[in-house]
Amino acid sequence: MTALGIRIEGLRKRYGEGDTAVDALKHVDMEVAPGEVVGLIGPSGSGKSTLLKCLGAVIDPTAGRMTLGGEVIYDDGWKVSDLRALRRDKIGFVFQAPYLIPFLDVVDNVALLPMLAGLPNAEARARALELLTALDVHHRAAAMPSQLSGGEQQRVAIARGLINRPPVILADEPTAPLDSERAMAVMRILNEMAEKYQTAIIIVTHDEKIIPTFKRIYHIRDGITSEEAGEGRPIS
Amino acid sequence: MNITAMQRRKLALIAVIAVLGALLAYVALRSGPLAPIAVTTAKVESQSLRPALFGVGTIDAERTYRVGPTFAGRVRSLTVNVGDRVVAGQTIGEMDPVDLDDRMAAQASAMQGAEAAVREATARQAYAASEAGRYESLLAARATSEEVLAAKRQELVAAKAAAANARSNLERMRADLSGLQSQRGNLRLIAPASGIVTLREVEPGTVVAGGQTVIEIIDPASLWVDVRIDQVSSAGLRAGLPARVQLRSSDGKVLHGRVLRIEPRADPITEETLIKVVFDTLPTPLPPLGEFAEVTLDLAPIAKGPVVPNAAIRRMGDRIGVWKLDDGDPVFVPVELGKADLGGRVQVLKGLDDGDTIIVYSEQELGPNSNISVVDRIPGVTP
Amino acid sequence: MISLAGRDILHSWGKFVFTGVGLGLLIGVTLVMAGVYRGMVDDGKALLDNSGADLWVVQRDTLGPYAESSSISDDLYRTVLAMPGVAEAANVTYLTMQVRQGETDVRAMVVGIMPGAAWGSPGWPSYLVEGRQITRGHYEAVADIASGFGLGDEITIRRNRYQVVGLTRRMVSSSGDPMVFIPLKDAQEAQFLKDNEAIWQNRRRTAANPAFNRPGQPDILDAVDASQASSTSVNAILVRLAPGGDAEAVAQAIRRWKRLTVHTRAEMEDILIGKLIATSSRQIGMFLAILSIVSAAIVAFIIYSLTMDKIREIAVLKLIGTRNRTIAGMILQQALALGTIGFAVGKITATFAAPYFPKYVLLLPMDAIAGFIAVMIICALASLIAIRMALKVDPAEAIGG
Repeated sequence: MTALGIRIEGLRKRYGEGDTAVDALKHVDMEVAPGEVVGLIGPSGSGKSTLLKCLGAVIDPTAGRMTLGGEVIYDDGWKVSDLRALRRDKIGFVFQAPYLIPFLDVVDNVALLPMLAGLPNAEARARALELLTALDVHHRAAAMPSQLSGGEQQRVAIARGLINRPPVILADEPTAPLDSERAMAVMRILNEMAEKYQTAIIIVTHDEKIIPTFKRIYHIRDGITSEEAGEGRPIS
Repeated sequence: MNITAMQRRKLALIAVIAVLGALLAYVALRSGPLAPIAVTTAKVESQSLRPALFGVGTIDAERTYRVGPTFAGRVRSLTVNVGDRVVAGQTIGEMDPVDLDDRMAAQASAMQGAEAAVREATARQAYAASEAGRYESLLAARATSEEVLAAKRQELVAAKAAAANARSNLERMRADLSGLQSQRGNLRLIAPASGIVTLREVEPGTVVAGGQTVIEIIDPASLWVDVRIDQVSSAGLRAGLPARVQLRSSDGKVLHGRVLRIEPRADPITEETLIKVVFDTLPTPLPPLGEFAEVTLDLAPIAKGPVVPNAAIRRMGDRIGVWKLDDGDPVFVPVELGKADLGGRVQVLKGLDDGDTIIVYSEQELGPNSNISVVDRIPGVTP
Repeated sequence: MISLAGRDILHSWGKFVFTGVGLGLLIGVTLVMAGVYRGMVDDGKALLDNSGADLWVVQRDTLGPYAESSSISDDLYRTVLAMPGVAEAANVTYLTMQVRQGETDVRAMVVGIMPGAAWGSPGWPSYLVEGRQITRGHYEAVADIASGFGLGDEITIRRNRYQVVGLTRRMVSSSGDPMVFIPLKDAQEAQFLKDNEAIWQNRRRTAANPAFNRPGQPDILDAVDASQASSTSVNAILVRLAPGGDAEAVAQAIRRWKRLTVHTRAEMEDILIGKLIATSSRQIGMFLAILSIVSAAIVAFIIYSLTMDKIREIAVLKLIGTRNRTIAGMILQQALALGTIGFAVGKITATFAAPYFPKYVLLLPMDAIAGFIAVMIICALASLIAIRMALKVDPAEAIGG
């Protein structure tokens, strides 16, 4: 495996102190190569979300080591000072619900991060339009999020996750609200994007429709991960 | 490209902000110190002024007669009432004579006694004269002595004196009686002149002091107006000026008259000059005495000259002047003022020319840097 | 760079503008309140300005003629006029009373001035908006436009009728009553002569007094009646100084030699504004303070609820890496924009509403600027609570579960 992408070694997360302490993550080892899409599967309460939050740098792990895009970000403590910048520059998020900003139109939703980072508006929008074209929603670029269908919104959300060309995308149940056809479309896009931009993608899901498409799957149960090969079925 | 929803919103918001901004600018520029002061203007015109004086006064009569008894006594009767016309010499009342008639009867009886005394004294004198003549002839015949003749002559002188005394006594009595008679005549109150009774001070039965007024009579032909004119504005006042008199009761009707005289003594406390105005023709019915009158005296018209309304005259520090419009900007021009009329026009002697545009009314006090806007009527003034 | 605040406003501009208008009306009321206070002070100053005097000579040891009654003999002005440094001196009377016109009556301050050719002597209305100045020595009046009288109206003051020949503006007493100028002699009569009934009663009372109604000497009664009816008093003498005259020096001289009380302009302002309207102005000051607090609370509440509506979006923004500065800036900008709209609406409504208030409302530009700064500060402070809320939002909330 290459050093780029994601590597997690012995990650632990404990909530609370003393007698009431709960170990949400006991021992997590994961590795995702650039351009690879892996599934993270587990029952409710298995620690999927906690893992995602640790990886997304919104909660603090208790111990372990995380490497993102070749940079050690956590080694029994955060190694980067600005977690928000880390999120902005290294990680793309795709959620179960798209969570678009309602007062910005589609193109500005996607272009928001580079704009805030100081990129000229026209340039940021051009980059966003390129992504939207790739995701086949460029015809709705001037629409408001509320005017979009669920699938379109999800694609816009993916575009937003990709805008900063992050080495990593964390997707939390991205296909849950979608029917099988659209779920497959989303999976295809994510796979295409992973290949095109050499992004490491972790998809947390328990959607039976898409599980067979993964080439590699991590199971998580009681805070412990185990790796297995997926069916790698082609996406129809 | 179609206008998107976003652009429509943007336009709407811009429109709202533009309206707000415009209103705010209007408000900032049209109210407060930045706002121009509304003024009205007028052209200075050459006009001939007819100045006039104004005064107030009361109706009064020049000749007022107060009739009363010459001595204390009781009023017996009065034959006239207030408002009656009387003629000169008319008896208008009488005083009670009390014991005057009795005293006259007593005087008459006393006079009869005096007349008898005169007759007796005259008889005595005649006898004494004849006795004296007889003894003179006896002495010539030497039938008697010189002493007896001297005694008879002395008796004659005494009888003459006694007769003279009796006569003068009678004269005195007669004079007394005539005195009483004339007093009896003075008990009547007689009108000294023709006129109208204006006052009946007491009623019959009242005891009055000598000299107290019982009846007051005025001569209506001598009705005049007692006018007071402020000394500040009494220049040009002289006797003979035509006057217009407006009585309180006359409901706008103007009576004409003229100034009879200017009193030589003015009122130093109220700073007023007193004048008398008489009517050209007496108003009928006669106005009540003491009625209030407003009097306007027309002075001779003065020669043409630049005239301004008095509302245009302003003050800057200790200078009096007007605001002249010079290229649309107000400039304070000190002026020298001449005469004014009661209509509010003032003649300008120095400082302005015909055709100058001046500010008459203004919404606020003006200053040298005031920003003005000329209007037809100051806002807020109802036509 | 993209303006998040601007885009949010643009997205929900209707809500935003209407909230701004509502806030604006509140700010308008606050501005009017300040205007009412300024108006009261200005009424007091207008009274002093309009009198055109540098010194007020009044009865000894009184605060007259406006704050307290004062009565001095009307020939004193001649001696005052003879004092060095005095350019002009004029008698004046002030009396607040009912002025009748037809069926209605108006409370007005009747000012007696010296009429005639004494142009612009102290006490005269310094400018007119209609008609002319008084020319006759009796029975003419110049009324303030606030009295509602029109040119040519016949008005009744006590026993006499007057014709309105001119109109003024902003000639008011310190309590805002319109002034009615009439000739001094009439005013003296009006002030000291009672109505007809009172005169008749007074005459009967005098006639019943044997000391005045002597038998055989009827003239005494007439003399007493006349002396009761005439007045030779005025309320004050207005003095205008010669150019370059020292007000305090002249005042001292009059105080010392004429045994009268003299107020200078500064003392008069102190009396009128410091003493006469002090309580009312404090009352209004209290209202102003309360309104400011209420406005601040409402702005804080509006900004807070606007922010709470967006709390989810703010969590997403934080998750995808938006800086705190950007989020705080968005809220602050919205608060300031709301304040600006509110201030504009408030200033506009206050200005248009001001003329409809029965008493004078004076809106000063300096007050408006101070008000704007205050609104901005209040909005900034009010947005602090919302900003604090927004910064406390956990970005993890955006990730479900």
